[in-house]
Amino acid sequence: MTDSYQFASFRDPSGFLFYKDGTLYRQVNQSYREHYDHLMKSGLYEALVSQGLMVHHAEIDDVEAVNKDLAYRVIQPEKVNFISYPYEWCFHELRSAALITLRLARTALDHGMILKDASAYNLQFVGGRWQLIDTLSFEIYKEGEPWVAYKQFCQHFLAPLALMAYRDPRLNLMSRLFIDGIPLDITADLLPARTKLRFGLMTHIHLHARTQKRYAGKEVRREDVKGKVSQRSLVGLLDSLRNTVKGLTIRTSGTEWADYYQETNYSESAFEQKKAIVKRYIERVQPSGVWDLGANTGEFSRLASDAGIFTVAFDVDPGAVSRNYIQARKNHEGNILPLVMDLANPSPGLGWGHRERESLVDRGPVSMVLALALVHHLAISNNVPLGKLAQFLSEISEYLVIEFVPKSDSQVQRLLRSREDIFDRYTVSGFEADFQVYFEILEQTPVPGSERILYLMKAKKR
Amino acid sequence: MRFGLFLKPLMYLDPGSGSFIIQMLLAGLLGIAVAIRIYWKKIVAFFRKGKTGDVQDQLDELDEYGGTNGIKSEKKDE
Repeated sequence: MTDSYQFASFRDPSGFLFYKDGTLYRQVNQSYREHYDHLMKSGLYEALVSQGLMVHHAEIDDVEAVNKDLAYRVIQPEKVNFISYPYEWCFHELRSAALITLRLARTALDHGMILKDASAYNLQFVGGRWQLIDTLSFEIYKEGEPWVAYKQFCQHFLAPLALMAYRDPRLNLMSRLFIDGIPLDITADLLPARTKLRFGLMTHIHLHARTQKRYAGKEVRREDVKGKVSQRSLVGLLDSLRNTVKGLTIRTSGTEWADYYQETNYSESAFEQKKAIVKRYIERVQPSGVWDLGANTGEFSRLASDAGIFTVAFDVDPGAVSRNYIQARKNHEGNILPLVMDLANPSPGLGWGHRERESLVDRGPVSMVLALALVHHLAISNNVPLGKLAQFLSEISEYLVIEFVPKSDSQVQRLLRSREDIFDRYTVSGFEADFQVYFEILEQTPVPGSERILYLMKAKKR
Repeated sequence: MRFGLFLKPLMYLDPGSGSFIIQMLLAGLLGIAVAIRIYWKKIVAFFRKGKTGDVQDQLDELDEYGGTNGIKSEKKDE
Protein backbone atom coordinates (compact mmCIF):
# COMPACT_ATOMS: atom_id res chain seq x y z
CA MET A 1 0.00 0.00 0.00
CA THR A 2 1.96 3.02 -1.19
CA ASP A 3 -0.23 5.34 -3.25
CA SER A 4 -3.93 4.75 -2.91
CA TYR A 5 -7.21 6.00 -1.58
CA GLN A 6 -8.06 4.87 1.89
CA PHE A 7 -11.01 2.60 1.21
CA ALA A 8 -13.26 3.60 4.11
CA SER A 9 -13.03 7.28 3.31
CA PHE A 10 -15.65 8.02 0.68
CA ARG A 11 -18.89 9.23 2.26
CA ASP A 12 -18.00 12.81 3.08
CA PRO A 13 -17.62 15.16 0.11
CA SER A 14 -15.54 17.51 2.30
CA GLY A 15 -12.42 15.47 1.66
CA PHE A 16 -10.87 12.01 1.92
CA LEU A 17 -7.85 10.08 3.11
CA PHE A 18 -5.13 8.81 0.82
CA TYR A 19 -1.76 7.14 1.10
CA LYS A 20 1.37 8.45 -0.56
CA ASP A 21 4.67 6.62 -0.11
CA GLY A 22 3.13 4.78 2.81
CA THR A 23 2.13 7.94 4.68
CA LEU A 24 -1.50 8.82 5.36
CA TYR A 25 -2.75 12.23 4.22
CA ARG A 26 -6.13 13.89 4.08
CA GLN A 27 -7.25 16.00 1.15
CA VAL A 28 -9.50 18.91 2.14
CA ASN A 29 -11.79 19.89 -0.71
CA GLN A 30 -12.63 23.42 -1.90
CA SER A 31 -16.26 22.79 -0.94
CA TYR A 32 -15.16 22.58 2.69
CA ARG A 33 -12.82 25.56 2.55
CA GLU A 34 -14.98 28.00 4.50
CA HIS A 35 -15.55 25.47 7.27
CA TYR A 36 -11.91 24.40 7.42
CA ASP A 37 -10.75 28.00 7.72
CA HIS A 38 -13.28 28.63 10.45
CA LEU A 39 -12.10 25.55 12.33
CA MET A 40 -8.50 26.73 12.19
CA LYS A 41 -9.11 30.44 12.85
CA SER A 42 -11.91 30.39 15.40
CA GLY A 43 -9.72 28.76 18.04
CA LEU A 44 -11.73 25.53 17.86
CA TYR A 45 -8.86 23.45 16.46
CA GLU A 46 -6.56 24.81 19.15
CA ALA A 47 -9.11 24.10 21.89
CA LEU A 48 -9.79 20.54 20.75
CA VAL A 49 -6.17 19.55 20.25
CA SER A 50 -4.95 21.11 23.49
CA GLN A 51 -7.65 19.27 25.44
CA GLY A 52 -6.80 15.98 23.76
CA LEU A 53 -10.20 15.70 22.12
CA MET A 54 -8.98 15.59 18.52
CA VAL A 55 -5.78 14.43 16.84
CA HIS A 56 -3.49 17.17 15.59
CA HIS A 57 -2.50 17.57 11.97
CA ALA A 58 0.07 19.41 9.91
CA GLU A 59 -0.69 21.36 6.74
CA ILE A 60 1.51 19.93 4.00
CA ASP A 61 2.62 21.95 1.02
CA ASP A 62 4.97 19.57 -0.77
CA VAL A 63 2.56 16.67 -1.27
CA GLU A 64 0.30 16.95 -4.28
CA ALA A 65 -3.41 16.48 -3.83
CA VAL A 66 -4.88 13.41 -5.47
CA ASN A 67 -7.73 15.29 -7.04
CA LYS A 68 -6.30 18.72 -7.81
CA ASP A 69 -9.49 20.24 -9.22
CA LEU A 70 -11.30 19.70 -5.95
CA ALA A 71 -8.47 20.20 -3.53
CA TYR A 72 -8.08 23.08 -1.13
CA ARG A 73 -5.37 21.67 1.11
CA VAL A 74 -3.48 18.53 2.01
CA ILE A 75 -3.03 17.79 5.69
CA GLN A 76 -1.16 15.04 7.50
CA PRO A 77 -3.03 13.73 10.54
CA GLU A 78 -1.42 12.32 13.67
CA LYS A 79 -0.76 8.59 13.39
CA VAL A 80 -3.15 6.11 15.00
CA ASN A 81 -1.46 2.95 16.28
CA PHE A 82 -4.37 0.61 15.82
CA ILE A 83 -7.79 1.22 14.30
CA SER A 84 -10.48 -0.39 16.44
CA TYR A 85 -14.22 -0.50 15.89
CA PRO A 86 -17.19 0.10 18.22
CA TYR A 87 -18.23 -3.57 18.09
CA GLU A 88 -14.84 -4.37 19.62
CA TRP A 89 -15.22 -1.89 22.48
CA CYS A 90 -16.46 -2.80 25.91
CA PHE A 91 -19.27 -0.83 27.55
CA HIS A 92 -16.92 1.56 29.31
CA GLU A 93 -14.97 2.33 26.15
CA LEU A 94 -18.12 3.10 24.19
CA ARG A 95 -19.40 5.21 27.09
CA SER A 96 -16.18 7.24 27.20
CA ALA A 97 -16.29 7.73 23.43
CA ALA A 98 -19.93 8.87 23.68
CA LEU A 99 -19.14 11.47 26.34
CA ILE A 100 -16.21 12.73 24.30
CA THR A 101 -18.39 13.04 21.20
CA LEU A 102 -20.83 15.20 23.17
CA ARG A 103 -18.00 17.27 24.51
CA LEU A 104 -16.72 17.77 20.98
CA ALA A 105 -20.18 18.96 19.93
CA ARG A 106 -20.39 21.29 22.92
CA THR A 107 -16.92 22.76 22.36
CA ALA A 108 -17.70 23.28 18.68
CA LEU A 109 -20.86 25.20 19.55
CA ASP A 110 -18.85 27.52 21.77
CA HIS A 111 -16.77 28.38 18.68
CA GLY A 112 -19.64 28.85 16.27
CA MET A 113 -19.44 25.41 14.71
CA ILE A 114 -21.44 22.22 14.93
CA LEU A 115 -20.40 18.57 14.90
CA LYS A 116 -22.00 17.39 11.68
CA ASP A 117 -20.96 13.79 12.10
CA ALA A 118 -21.38 11.74 15.29
CA SER A 119 -20.05 8.43 13.99
CA ALA A 120 -18.46 6.21 16.61
CA TYR A 121 -15.98 5.13 13.93
CA ASN A 122 -14.53 8.65 13.98
CA LEU A 123 -13.15 8.10 17.46
CA GLN A 124 -9.96 6.19 18.01
CA PHE A 125 -7.72 5.45 20.95
CA VAL A 126 -4.73 7.79 20.67
CA GLY A 127 -2.36 8.62 23.51
CA GLY A 128 -4.47 6.88 26.13
CA ARG A 129 -7.81 8.51 25.33
CA TRP A 130 -10.54 8.54 22.72
CA GLN A 131 -9.95 11.27 20.18
CA LEU A 132 -11.71 12.47 17.07
CA ILE A 133 -9.68 11.47 14.04
CA ASP A 134 -11.85 13.11 11.37
CA THR A 135 -10.78 16.74 11.16
CA LEU A 136 -13.58 17.50 8.70
CA SER A 137 -16.41 16.70 11.13
CA PHE A 138 -17.39 20.32 11.81
CA GLU A 139 -19.35 22.90 9.92
CA ILE A 140 -20.31 26.49 10.61
CA TYR A 141 -23.31 26.64 12.92
CA LYS A 142 -26.45 28.44 11.83
CA GLU A 143 -28.77 29.53 14.61
CA GLY A 144 -32.14 27.80 14.56
CA GLU A 145 -31.10 24.57 12.94
CA PRO A 146 -31.49 21.18 14.61
CA TRP A 147 -28.52 18.91 15.19
CA VAL A 148 -27.95 17.03 11.97
CA ALA A 149 -26.04 14.23 13.73
CA TYR A 150 -28.65 13.61 16.44
CA LYS A 151 -29.98 10.44 14.84
CA GLN A 152 -26.46 9.16 14.26
CA PHE A 153 -25.43 9.81 17.85
CA CYS A 154 -28.45 7.90 19.14
CA GLN A 155 -27.82 4.97 16.80
CA HIS A 156 -24.05 4.78 17.24
CA PHE A 157 -23.82 5.40 20.96
CA LEU A 158 -27.02 5.61 22.95
CA ALA A 159 -28.70 2.53 21.46
CA PRO A 160 -25.81 0.08 22.03
CA LEU A 161 -25.04 1.54 25.46
CA ALA A 162 -28.66 1.20 26.58
CA LEU A 163 -28.88 -2.34 25.24
CA MET A 164 -25.65 -3.30 26.98
CA ALA A 165 -26.68 -1.68 30.25
CA TYR A 166 -30.25 -3.01 30.32
CA ARG A 167 -29.89 -6.34 28.52
CA ASP A 168 -26.39 -7.76 28.05
CA PRO A 169 -22.87 -6.34 27.53
CA ARG A 170 -22.37 -8.77 24.64
CA LEU A 171 -24.88 -6.76 22.62
CA ASN A 172 -22.02 -4.50 21.57
CA LEU A 173 -21.82 -7.05 18.75
CA MET A 174 -25.05 -5.69 17.29
CA SER A 175 -23.02 -2.75 15.99
CA ARG A 176 -21.35 -5.29 13.74
CA LEU A 177 -24.68 -6.04 12.04
CA PHE A 178 -25.70 -2.43 11.47
CA ILE A 179 -22.85 -0.42 10.01
CA ASP A 180 -24.53 2.94 10.69
CA GLY A 181 -25.53 2.17 14.25
CA ILE A 182 -28.39 0.16 15.71
CA PRO A 183 -31.77 1.32 14.36
CA LEU A 184 -33.85 2.94 17.07
CA ASP A 185 -37.02 0.96 16.39
CA ILE A 186 -35.20 -2.32 17.07
CA THR A 187 -33.54 -0.80 20.12
CA ALA A 188 -36.90 0.38 21.48
CA ASP A 189 -38.39 -3.09 20.98
CA LEU A 190 -35.48 -4.83 22.67
CA LEU A 191 -35.22 -2.56 25.71
CA PRO A 192 -37.30 -3.44 28.78
CA ALA A 193 -40.45 -1.35 29.33
CA ARG A 194 -38.99 0.23 32.46
CA THR A 195 -36.59 2.24 30.29
CA LYS A 196 -39.63 4.34 29.34
CA LEU A 197 -39.64 5.66 32.88
CA ARG A 198 -36.30 7.35 32.32
CA PHE A 199 -36.63 10.72 30.65
CA GLY A 200 -33.53 10.40 28.48
CA LEU A 201 -34.24 6.93 27.15
CA MET A 202 -37.95 7.70 26.80
CA THR A 203 -37.26 10.71 24.58
CA HIS A 204 -34.03 9.90 22.74
CA ILE A 205 -34.84 6.25 22.04
CA HIS A 206 -38.56 5.45 22.42
CA LEU A 207 -40.15 8.73 21.34
CA HIS A 208 -37.42 9.26 18.76
CA ALA A 209 -38.13 5.84 17.22
CA ARG A 210 -41.86 6.58 17.09
CA THR A 211 -41.36 9.98 15.50
CA GLN A 212 -39.07 8.41 12.92
CA LYS A 213 -41.68 5.81 12.12
CA ARG A 214 -44.44 8.40 11.89
CA TYR A 215 -42.55 10.59 9.43
CA ALA A 216 -40.78 7.83 7.54
CA GLY A 217 -41.14 8.37 3.80
CA LYS A 218 -43.46 11.34 4.34
CA GLU A 219 -42.83 14.62 2.69
CA VAL A 220 -42.31 17.19 5.39
CA ARG A 221 -42.33 20.75 4.22
CA ARG A 222 -40.38 23.42 5.99
CA GLU A 223 -43.35 25.71 6.22
CA ASP A 224 -45.30 22.98 8.00
CA VAL A 225 -42.67 22.84 10.69
CA LYS A 226 -42.89 26.04 12.66
CA GLY A 227 -40.33 25.22 15.29
CA LYS A 228 -36.73 26.23 15.46
CA VAL A 229 -34.02 24.84 17.62
CA SER A 230 -32.29 27.71 19.34
CA GLN A 231 -28.68 27.45 20.42
CA ARG A 232 -29.84 27.19 24.02
CA SER A 233 -32.11 24.28 23.09
CA LEU A 234 -29.23 22.62 21.30
CA VAL A 235 -27.10 22.94 24.42
CA GLY A 236 -30.04 21.46 26.31
CA LEU A 237 -30.19 18.56 23.88
CA LEU A 238 -26.47 17.86 24.29
CA ASP A 239 -26.77 18.13 28.08
CA SER A 240 -29.72 15.79 28.09
CA LEU A 241 -27.85 13.22 25.99
CA ARG A 242 -24.89 13.56 28.31
CA ASN A 243 -27.03 12.97 31.39
CA THR A 244 -28.62 9.97 29.70
CA VAL A 245 -25.24 8.45 28.87
CA LYS A 246 -23.93 9.17 32.36
CA GLY A 247 -26.98 7.46 33.83
CA LEU A 248 -26.10 4.18 32.15
CA THR A 249 -23.96 1.80 34.19
CA ILE A 250 -22.91 -1.80 34.13
CA ARG A 251 -21.42 -4.25 36.60
CA THR A 252 -17.92 -5.48 35.90
CA SER A 253 -17.48 -8.08 38.63
CA GLY A 254 -18.48 -11.72 38.58
CA THR A 255 -17.75 -12.54 34.95
CA GLU A 256 -16.49 -15.83 33.61
CA TRP A 257 -12.88 -14.85 33.06
CA ALA A 258 -12.32 -11.86 35.23
CA ASP A 259 -11.73 -14.09 38.25
CA TYR A 260 -9.57 -16.49 36.26
CA TYR A 261 -6.30 -15.69 37.93
CA GLN A 262 -7.76 -16.34 41.35
CA GLU A 263 -8.99 -19.76 40.26
CA THR A 264 -6.09 -21.22 38.30
CA ASN A 265 -3.86 -23.86 39.74
CA TYR A 266 -0.82 -21.68 39.42
CA SER A 267 1.23 -21.09 42.47
CA GLU A 268 2.17 -17.48 43.06
CA SER A 269 5.79 -18.23 42.18
CA ALA A 270 4.96 -20.12 38.95
CA PHE A 271 2.92 -17.12 37.85
CA GLU A 272 5.78 -14.74 38.60
CA GLN A 273 8.25 -16.99 36.79
CA LYS A 274 6.01 -17.19 33.75
CA LYS A 275 5.94 -13.40 33.76
CA ALA A 276 9.73 -13.25 33.94
CA ILE A 277 10.10 -15.58 30.95
CA VAL A 278 7.61 -13.62 28.80
CA LYS A 279 9.34 -10.40 29.79
CA ARG A 280 12.68 -11.81 28.71
CA TYR A 281 11.26 -12.87 25.32
CA ILE A 282 9.84 -9.37 24.80
CA GLU A 283 13.17 -7.80 25.68
CA ARG A 284 14.96 -10.12 23.29
CA VAL A 285 12.74 -9.28 20.31
CA GLN A 286 11.93 -5.64 21.17
CA PRO A 287 8.74 -5.67 19.11
CA SER A 288 7.25 -2.46 17.69
CA GLY A 289 3.77 -3.56 18.67
CA VAL A 290 2.09 -6.42 20.51
CA TRP A 291 -1.28 -8.15 20.30
CA ASP A 292 -2.10 -10.13 23.40
CA LEU A 293 -4.68 -12.76 22.44
CA GLY A 294 -6.79 -13.95 25.35
CA ALA A 295 -5.41 -11.14 27.48
CA ASN A 296 -8.00 -11.36 30.25
CA THR A 297 -7.49 -8.25 32.38
CA GLY A 298 -4.11 -7.51 30.79
CA GLU A 299 -1.69 -8.87 33.37
CA PHE A 300 0.76 -10.02 30.68
CA SER A 301 -0.09 -7.26 28.19
CA ARG A 302 1.41 -4.83 30.66
CA LEU A 303 4.80 -6.49 30.42
CA ALA A 304 4.89 -4.99 26.92
CA SER A 305 2.86 -1.80 27.37
CA ASP A 306 4.76 -0.78 30.50
CA ALA A 307 7.93 -1.05 28.41
CA GLY A 308 6.51 1.57 26.04
CA ILE A 309 5.27 -0.88 23.40
CA PHE A 310 1.76 -0.23 22.07
CA THR A 311 -0.24 -3.30 23.02
CA VAL A 312 -3.74 -4.38 22.06
CA ALA A 313 -5.21 -6.69 24.69
CA PHE A 314 -7.95 -8.86 23.18
CA ASP A 315 -10.36 -10.94 25.19
CA VAL A 316 -13.69 -12.59 24.49
CA ASP A 317 -15.18 -11.56 27.84
CA PRO A 318 -16.53 -7.98 27.90
CA GLY A 319 -16.29 -7.97 31.70
CA ALA A 320 -12.56 -8.71 31.66
CA VAL A 321 -12.06 -6.08 28.93
CA SER A 322 -13.97 -3.51 31.00
CA ARG A 323 -11.83 -4.21 34.04
CA ASN A 324 -8.69 -3.94 31.97
CA TYR A 325 -9.84 -0.63 30.49
CA ILE A 326 -10.81 0.84 33.86
CA GLN A 327 -7.43 -0.10 35.28
CA ALA A 328 -5.68 1.48 32.30
CA ARG A 329 -7.72 4.70 32.69
CA LYS A 330 -7.14 4.88 36.43
CA ASN A 331 -3.39 4.57 35.97
CA HIS A 332 -3.30 6.86 32.90
CA GLU A 333 -1.74 4.14 30.76
CA GLY A 334 -1.44 5.25 27.16
CA ASN A 335 0.01 2.13 25.56
CA ILE A 336 -2.66 -0.46 26.19
CA LEU A 337 -5.92 -0.82 24.29
CA PRO A 338 -8.25 -3.54 25.62
CA LEU A 339 -10.72 -4.89 23.04
CA VAL A 340 -13.45 -7.50 22.92
CA MET A 341 -12.65 -10.21 20.37
CA ASP A 342 -13.76 -13.80 19.93
CA LEU A 343 -10.79 -15.48 18.27
CA ALA A 344 -13.01 -18.32 17.08
CA ASN A 345 -14.96 -15.70 15.12
CA PRO A 346 -12.80 -12.56 14.80
CA SER A 347 -13.98 -9.27 13.30
CA PRO A 348 -14.57 -9.69 9.56
CA GLY A 349 -14.21 -7.12 6.78
CA LEU A 350 -17.45 -5.14 6.76
CA GLY A 351 -19.32 -2.46 4.89
CA TRP A 352 -18.97 -1.43 1.28
CA GLY A 353 -16.95 -3.96 -0.71
CA HIS A 354 -16.13 -5.73 2.60
CA ARG A 355 -13.42 -3.14 3.02
CA GLU A 356 -14.90 -0.21 4.88
CA ARG A 357 -14.07 -1.84 8.21
CA GLU A 358 -11.03 -4.07 8.14
CA SER A 359 -10.91 -7.61 9.42
CA LEU A 360 -8.55 -8.38 12.27
CA VAL A 361 -6.12 -10.12 9.90
CA ASP A 362 -6.09 -7.11 7.56
CA ARG A 363 -5.01 -4.91 10.46
CA GLY A 364 -1.93 -7.08 10.96
CA PRO A 365 0.60 -8.52 10.92
CA VAL A 366 1.86 -7.21 14.21
CA SER A 367 5.44 -7.41 15.40
CA MET A 368 4.64 -9.82 18.24
CA VAL A 369 1.67 -11.93 19.31
CA LEU A 370 1.26 -13.26 22.83
CA ALA A 371 -0.82 -16.44 23.04
CA LEU A 372 -0.65 -17.41 26.68
CA ALA A 373 -2.96 -20.04 28.19
CA LEU A 374 -4.87 -19.92 24.92
CA VAL A 375 -3.99 -22.98 22.85
CA HIS A 376 -6.11 -25.40 24.86
CA HIS A 377 -9.18 -23.19 24.60
CA LEU A 378 -8.99 -22.99 20.83
CA ALA A 379 -7.73 -26.53 20.20
CA ILE A 380 -9.94 -28.39 22.65
CA SER A 381 -13.03 -26.24 23.33
CA ASN A 382 -13.27 -25.10 19.73
CA ASN A 383 -11.78 -28.16 17.96
CA VAL A 384 -9.27 -26.08 15.95
CA PRO A 385 -6.50 -28.41 14.70
CA LEU A 386 -3.06 -27.26 15.86
CA GLY A 387 -1.85 -26.86 12.26
CA LYS A 388 -4.68 -24.46 11.46
CA LEU A 389 -4.00 -22.52 14.64
CA ALA A 390 -0.31 -22.24 13.68
CA GLN A 391 -1.26 -21.05 10.20
CA PHE A 392 -3.60 -18.36 11.54
CA LEU A 393 -1.07 -17.11 14.07
CA SER A 394 1.64 -16.95 11.38
CA GLU A 395 -0.63 -14.72 9.29
CA ILE A 396 -0.93 -12.10 12.02
CA SER A 397 2.51 -12.12 13.65
CA GLU A 398 6.21 -11.84 13.01
CA TYR A 399 7.16 -13.18 16.40
CA LEU A 400 5.02 -15.41 18.58
CA VAL A 401 5.19 -16.10 22.29
CA ILE A 402 3.01 -19.12 22.87
CA GLU A 403 2.31 -21.34 25.85
CA PHE A 404 1.63 -25.03 25.41
CA VAL A 405 -0.69 -26.40 28.08
CA PRO A 406 -0.48 -30.24 28.11
CA LYS A 407 -3.41 -32.57 28.67
CA SER A 408 -2.19 -33.38 32.16
CA ASP A 409 -2.79 -29.76 33.23
CA SER A 410 -5.86 -29.38 35.41
CA GLN A 411 -7.26 -26.62 33.15
CA VAL A 412 -7.21 -28.98 30.17
CA GLN A 413 -8.62 -31.80 32.28
CA ARG A 414 -11.49 -29.50 33.16
CA LEU A 415 -12.21 -28.89 29.47
CA LEU A 416 -12.02 -32.64 28.70
CA ARG A 417 -14.26 -33.66 31.56
CA SER A 418 -17.44 -32.91 29.68
CA ARG A 419 -16.46 -34.28 26.29
CA GLU A 420 -14.80 -37.11 24.43
CA ASP A 421 -11.02 -36.83 24.03
CA ILE A 422 -10.55 -36.83 20.26
CA PHE A 423 -7.25 -34.97 20.41
CA ASP A 424 -4.54 -37.57 19.79
CA ARG A 425 -2.23 -34.99 18.28
CA TYR A 426 -2.46 -32.67 21.28
CA THR A 427 1.00 -33.49 22.66
CA VAL A 428 4.25 -31.53 22.97
CA SER A 429 5.74 -33.29 19.93
CA GLY A 430 2.52 -32.89 17.88
CA PHE A 431 2.36 -29.23 18.82
CA GLU A 432 5.99 -28.56 17.89
CA ALA A 433 5.74 -30.46 14.60
CA ASP A 434 2.62 -28.55 13.51
CA PHE A 435 3.98 -25.17 14.50
CA GLN A 436 7.36 -25.75 12.84
CA VAL A 437 5.63 -25.79 9.47
CA TYR A 438 4.93 -22.08 9.90
CA PHE A 439 7.38 -20.99 12.58
CA GLU A 440 10.98 -21.35 13.56
CA ILE A 441 11.31 -22.11 17.26
CA LEU A 442 13.88 -19.70 18.71
CA GLU A 443 13.59 -20.64 22.35
CA GLN A 444 11.57 -22.86 24.65
CA THR A 445 11.35 -22.63 28.41
CA PRO A 446 9.40 -24.88 30.79
CA VAL A 447 7.39 -22.88 33.30
CA PRO A 448 8.76 -23.97 36.71
CA GLY A 449 6.15 -25.39 39.04
CA SER A 450 3.87 -26.47 36.19
CA GLU A 451 3.88 -28.77 33.18
CA ARG A 452 3.47 -25.93 30.73
CA ILE A 453 6.08 -24.80 28.19
CA LEU A 454 6.65 -21.33 26.79
CA TYR A 455 7.98 -20.88 23.26
CA LEU A 456 9.42 -17.94 21.39
CA MET A 457 8.91 -18.41 17.66
CA LYS A 458 9.55 -16.48 14.47
CA ALA A 459 7.17 -16.77 11.53
CA LYS A 460 8.73 -18.28 8.40
CA LYS A 461 8.70 -15.98 5.36
CA ARG A 462 6.01 -17.06 2.95
CA MET B 1 -38.81 14.84 2.21
CA ARG B 2 -38.15 18.51 1.70
CA PHE B 3 -36.02 20.27 4.20
CA GLY B 4 -35.08 22.96 1.77
CA LEU B 5 -34.02 25.49 4.34
CA PHE B 6 -32.02 22.98 6.33
CA LEU B 7 -30.35 20.92 3.68
CA LYS B 8 -27.12 22.35 2.45
CA PRO B 9 -24.90 20.79 -0.16
CA LEU B 10 -22.52 19.71 2.58
CA MET B 11 -25.12 17.71 4.44
CA TYR B 12 -24.16 14.24 3.31
CA LEU B 13 -25.77 12.38 6.17
CA ASP B 14 -29.45 11.66 6.03
CA PRO B 15 -30.55 13.25 9.25
CA GLY B 16 -34.05 11.78 9.01
CA SER B 17 -37.14 13.96 9.17
CA GLY B 18 -38.37 12.26 12.34
CA SER B 19 -35.06 13.03 14.04
CA PHE B 20 -35.44 16.71 13.12
CA ILE B 21 -39.03 16.97 14.20
CA ILE B 22 -38.46 15.41 17.60
CA GLN B 23 -35.73 17.99 18.26
CA MET B 24 -38.18 20.78 17.53
CA LEU B 25 -40.76 19.18 19.78
CA LEU B 26 -38.21 18.93 22.56
CA ALA B 27 -36.55 22.28 21.86
CA GLY B 28 -38.63 24.40 24.21
CA LEU B 29 -38.39 21.94 27.05
CA LEU B 30 -34.65 21.44 26.73
CA GLY B 31 -34.06 25.18 26.45
CA ILE B 32 -35.97 25.78 29.67
CA ALA B 33 -33.97 23.01 31.36
CA VAL B 34 -30.73 24.79 30.45
CA ALA B 35 -32.04 28.09 31.81
CA ILE B 36 -33.11 26.46 35.06
CA ARG B 37 -29.74 24.76 35.38
CA ILE B 38 -27.90 28.06 34.93
CA TYR B 39 -29.95 29.73 37.67
CA TRP B 40 -29.70 26.71 39.90
CA LYS B 41 -25.94 26.80 39.60
CA LYS B 42 -25.95 30.48 40.54
CA ILE B 43 -28.07 29.77 43.62
CA VAL B 44 -25.84 26.87 44.62
CA ALA B 45 -22.73 28.97 43.99
CA PHE B 46 -24.16 31.75 46.20
CA PHE B 47 -24.57 29.41 49.14
CA ARG B 48 -21.28 27.65 48.57
CA LYS B 49 -19.33 30.88 48.37
CA GLY B 50 -15.79 30.47 49.62
CA LYS B 51 -15.69 26.74 49.08
CA THR B 52 -13.00 25.95 46.57
CA GLY B 53 -13.25 23.48 43.73
CA ASP B 54 -16.45 21.68 42.85
CA VAL B 55 -15.62 17.98 43.15
CA GLN B 56 -18.46 16.98 40.88
CA ASP B 57 -17.21 19.32 38.18
CA GLN B 58 -13.75 17.84 38.41
CA LEU B 59 -15.09 14.30 38.16
CA ASP B 60 -17.27 15.25 35.20
CA GLU B 61 -14.20 16.67 33.58
CA LEU B 62 -12.39 13.36 34.05
CA ASP B 63 -15.39 11.55 32.56
CA GLU B 64 -15.22 13.52 29.39
CA TYR B 65 -11.64 12.48 29.02
CA GLY B 66 -12.69 8.86 29.25
CA GLY B 67 -12.23 8.57 32.97
CA THR B 68 -13.32 5.72 35.18
CA ASN B 69 -16.94 6.39 34.45
CA GLY B 70 -19.91 4.15 34.97
CA ILE B 71 -18.23 1.87 37.46
CA LYS B 72 -20.76 0.38 39.80
CA SER B 73 -18.54 -1.99 41.70
CA GLU B 74 -16.06 -1.21 44.45
CA LYS B 75 -15.23 2.43 44.91
CA LYS B 76 -17.72 4.65 43.26
CA ASP B 77 -16.10 7.76 41.93
CA GLU B 78 -19.08 10.04 42.18
